Amino acid sequence: MLEMRGITKRFPGVIACDDVSFEVYPGEVHTLLGENGAGKSTLMKIVYGLYRADEGEVFLNGEPLRITSPNQAISHGIGMIHQHFMLVPTLTVAENVALGLKSSRGALTDLDSVSARIVELGETYGLRVDPSTPVWQLSVGEQQRVEIIKALYRDAKLLILDEPTAVLTPQEVDQLFVTLRTLTAGGRGLIFISHKLHEVLSLSTRITVLRNGRVTGSIPVEGATRDSLAQMMVGRAVKFAPDGADAKPTDVALEIRGLRVLRDRGGEGVCGVDLDVRAGEIMGVAGVSGNGQMLLAETIAGLRTPTAGSIKIVGTEVVGMPPKGVRDAGLAYVPEERMKDGAIGDFTVSENILLIDHNDPRYLKHGMFDFEAIRKHAQRLVDEYTVKTPTLDTPVRNLSGGNIQKMIIARELSGTPEVLVVAQPTRGVDIGAAEYIHTRLIGQRDQATAILMISEDLDEIFGVSDRVAVMYEGQIMGIVDPNTATREQVGLMMAGVAQDEALSQPT
Amino acid sequence: MRRTYTWLVLLAAFALVVAACGGDDNAEATTTTSTPVTTETFRIAVVAPSAANDLAFTQSMIDSLNVIDGEMDLEIAVTDGMFVVEDAAAAIRDYADKGYDLVIAHGSQYGGSLAEIAPDFPDTSFAWGTAAETFGLPNVYSYQAASDQGGYVMGVLAAALSKTGTLGVVGPVEVGDAKLYVDGFAAGAKAEDPAIDVKIVYTGSFSDVALASETAQAHVTAGADVLTGSAQMVVGAIGVASTEGVAWFGTQANQTQIAPDVVVASQVYHWEGVLREIIAGVQSGTLGGEAYTIDLANGGEVIEYNPGYDLPADVKAKGDAAVAGIIDGSIVVGG
Amino acid sequence: MSGLFTEAVLVATIAGGIRLAVPLLFASIGEMFGQRSGVLNLGVDGVMLLGAFGGYYTVLKTDNVWFGLLVGVGIGVVLGLVTAVMSVTLKAEQGISGIGVFLFGLGFSDLLFQMWVGTPLPIQAFPKVEIPGLSNIPFLGETLFSHSAVVYIAFAMVPLSMFIINQTNFGMKIRAVGENPEAADSLGVSVAGIRYATLIIGGTLAGVAGAALAIDLKIFQSNLTNAAGFIAIALVYFGAWRPLGVMGGALLYGFVNSIVLQLKTQGIIPRSWSDIAAMAPAVVTILALVVVAHRFKPPAALTKPFERAR
Repeated sequence: MLEMRGITKRFPGVIACDDVSFEVYPGEVHTLLGENGAGKSTLMKIVYGLYRADEGEVFLNGEPLRITSPNQAISHGIGMIHQHFMLVPTLTVAENVALGLKSSRGALTDLDSVSARIVELGETYGLRVDPSTPVWQLSVGEQQRVEIIKALYRDAKLLILDEPTAVLTPQEVDQLFVTLRTLTAGGRGLIFISHKLHEVLSLSTRITVLRNGRVTGSIPVEGATRDSLAQMMVGRAVKFAPDGADAKPTDVALEIRGLRVLRDRGGEGVCGVDLDVRAGEIMGVAGVSGNGQMLLAETIAGLRTPTAGSIKIVGTEVVGMPPKGVRDAGLAYVPEERMKDGAIGDFTVSENILLIDHNDPRYLKHGMFDFEAIRKHAQRLVDEYTVKTPTLDTPVRNLSGGNIQKMIIARELSGTPEVLVVAQPTRGVDIGAAEYIHTRLIGQRDQATAILMISEDLDEIFGVSDRVAVMYEGQIMGIVDPNTATREQVGLMMAGVAQDEALSQPT
Repeated sequence: MRRTYTWLVLLAAFALVVAACGGDDNAEATTTTSTPVTTETFRIAVVAPSAANDLAFTQSMIDSLNVIDGEMDLEIAVTDGMFVVEDAAAAIRDYADKGYDLVIAHGSQYGGSLAEIAPDFPDTSFAWGTAAETFGLPNVYSYQAASDQGGYVMGVLAAALSKTGTLGVVGPVEVGDAKLYVDGFAAGAKAEDPAIDVKIVYTGSFSDVALASETAQAHVTAGADVLTGSAQMVVGAIGVASTEGVAWFGTQANQTQIAPDVVVASQVYHWEGVLREIIAGVQSGTLGGEAYTIDLANGGEVIEYNPGYDLPADVKAKGDAAVAGIIDGSIVVGG
Repeated sequence: MSGLFTEAVLVATIAGGIRLAVPLLFASIGEMFGQRSGVLNLGVDGVMLLGAFGGYYTVLKTDNVWFGLLVGVGIGVVLGLVTAVMSVTLKAEQGISGIGVFLFGLGFSDLLFQMWVGTPLPIQAFPKVEIPGLSNIPFLGETLFSHSAVVYIAFAMVPLSMFIINQTNFGMKIRAVGENPEAADSLGVSVAGIRYATLIIGGTLAGVAGAALAIDLKIFQSNLTNAAGFIAIALVYFGAWRPLGVMGGALLYGFVNSIVLQLKTQGIIPRSWSDIAAMAPAVVTILALVVVAHRFKPPAALTKPFERAR
């Protein structure tokens, strides 16, 4: 039903898509697989009318498709579920669905008839959601249902799903896949964009892999394996579980007792957390975004003041200390939002590396910066962590996500901390860099650093952690051994099921 | 007594002509009766807070300048609307720098700035008001109006005119010229009728016309049948007076044209006398040091009646008596 | 003293509060439309001043208050369009461009007044409309149903704007564009179109607010509004971007002003307290704003220009 021929799209300095051809047939799930920046999203934005291709042609049902706006894409039966939901949080489900459509009552809204149709669609496709609820009150999984309903309501024949599982628990992913299979069974075509290999293998009919804007292969799902797909994505063999000796944890280096923290907008976000992380182990913290993990990390780093509880770093109480004091006590911190909290985009690589050490006498001479010493230090870290940057004086915003993250981790680990808190270490980072970062984390663990790793990526949690704490609504639901627990069990705990009950579920 | 009366009527008529013509016409109206004092153009600059035609404080100075503009060869520059003192200070300095012979800072709030600027231009004469202070500087004149005298006369007239025994006053902020006028008004009213109820409300703003309007409305509701008020925001109150048909007494300028049916009389400032003396002083080499006050006796303050208002003769006689009393010293206002 | 509790004083207090609320109500309902669609327009006071002068001058020349109001509408439409071009099409920083419109309105209205009018001659006021039947109800009739025509128009804006925002497609689009313009755009809603529309509505109501103020006071003067446009902006926050809340804010401001005035007139507030009492409306409004503002979030896209990715 959709055919793209020889699509090329250039941005200043980059070729996002280079002679890409791609087609979708009714009733199939065609997956676009690739790293961040491989050109998947650009390609789909061309289909959806958000970008225009510089070269190449798009055909829909055999007819050339020339569209310049999402509105036209919708009228051609193309629906897109964006990675970041395109929902208006203050509007109700029905209003979000009705937005932009002609009303049967002229200038007035016709939310009653829209609601009736939403309920009907929900029953047909297993997308149950109350049409009169404001969207901000819905869970992430429900919001995604609204997005799909929006597309179905507009009678989309071709659905594009951009990383739809990134924000879902494993159970919600399963539920989503059931819905998607119902849709294709009804003759709709699906384009599924993902970089999660096991999901791709379970859902797809065909898989097209992109690397650096080029198609590196297009194969039916039969015969595809994790390893073969990863090789097509990265261009070389990739190890999924980093090697490394077993952890040899010793004494408790990070001790958290009875920690309570308020959210910005009122209400408690961390509700009585007790947690010990020992030197020489990686404690993974699993959980769906927004369950208190980030508040926990920021509180440990001294960026927030808890309402109760204590945090000890190698025996030193750090609650009430400023961030600098916490660092001096032995903490290193890699924040979730690396461009917001972890680096300053307009500063150069060497300036960013100096950020935490700017009072260090090693880099000062007569109270002024010793630029020679700073350069040497920066160059050493850049080399050691293989940060790809044209020069040390390049502004950080010009680096790729993976290289910025490597730079931040290099900076944080350069002081050989007692405790490292790292949030979403590989989000938005290409597989190659992710692999390197994981190896580095394990290496640091083996040098007896206690590591608290917060991640929403269960592959990462299971691949790197020595123990896994699951957080739900500000509490630790339990701590499991990643070698014996299953993804499903952890998934249940992430959804609020108690540890005993979750572990007793058949796997 | 009789002579004073005639003189007042003449002046009132003259002022009416001036006000009715407005603007530069004033100069033409008076050129025939005046002779140039000097052949060299005398350059005067005025910096004032409100608009040049505010029918109040600023206009009183502009009108006076226009009057003497016809008597001698003057060049007059005006920068009005300088509510912000810093802007006014910049304008004052600018005029001094351009070599004006006399720079008038027409606002008591400009004093501080003037005290800093004047010493930088020892050859330029400055005048400021309304104030009594010359900062001991040899090139600063000051001028003020004994507005309580006119206020007293208005108070006498208002109390005599009132049938309800309640008068309403709309004031801005209780300072300076407005306070002086209002206090004089209250004193005059009490002198005429000790039982009179003078309701005085300071709105807290020189510029909130809507609030002045509501204040007048509140006075009327409270039973006031004669209103007065000071500062430029009273135009709102005058509107209410005309709608409600209650009498209005004006000050600072002749306000008859705003509401010809209800304005009884206005206290008008004539700065001409002071200006003539200052100009003569500057031309003879005395750049400052003198503090002038206009009042009823020296003709700087004039009660201008609205000829269209049917004021009972006995009431008017009381007003004239008050004027005479103040001039001859038998009535002492304020102090 | 006892005068405070007479019916006449009470009627005057309430009626006065309502009158003082009217220009604020027009302007803040208009501003609310812009803000609900994500544009903070700080130029309200400038538009009000030009609307005030335009309305005043028209009535002065034609003796027809409705022509005056119409000119206020026209000036508002033009300036709303100018605001939209600046903040939507040119994506100017909204605070700065709004202040620009304000300063232009402040200066230009005064300039035109000096050039064309000079002295503030009085004009006709709006006719008083006694609502048949209702105006005869004791007390309520005098306070609520015996006002100048423009008062009823102002209060009619409240249910009308509620209806538009909550019941119409246009209103739904306004809310969507103010919260998540990307989402609205992805569904084919013209973000720029909606924002042009709301800014023109806002400009129109600001122009009407100014004209209504000038005609009600029967006068024009430099800076006649005395920053009422800025109070109107604060009232939008106070009213949590909802018509009823905005009306509540305008009435609160009007009533506090009116009550303080009556207390001063009755001598209950001594003259030495006069200047402090003059701050009461602002203080009460700010306090209420602080209490209210904590509970409601502004439109998420407020002050953010929308730009679609290439």
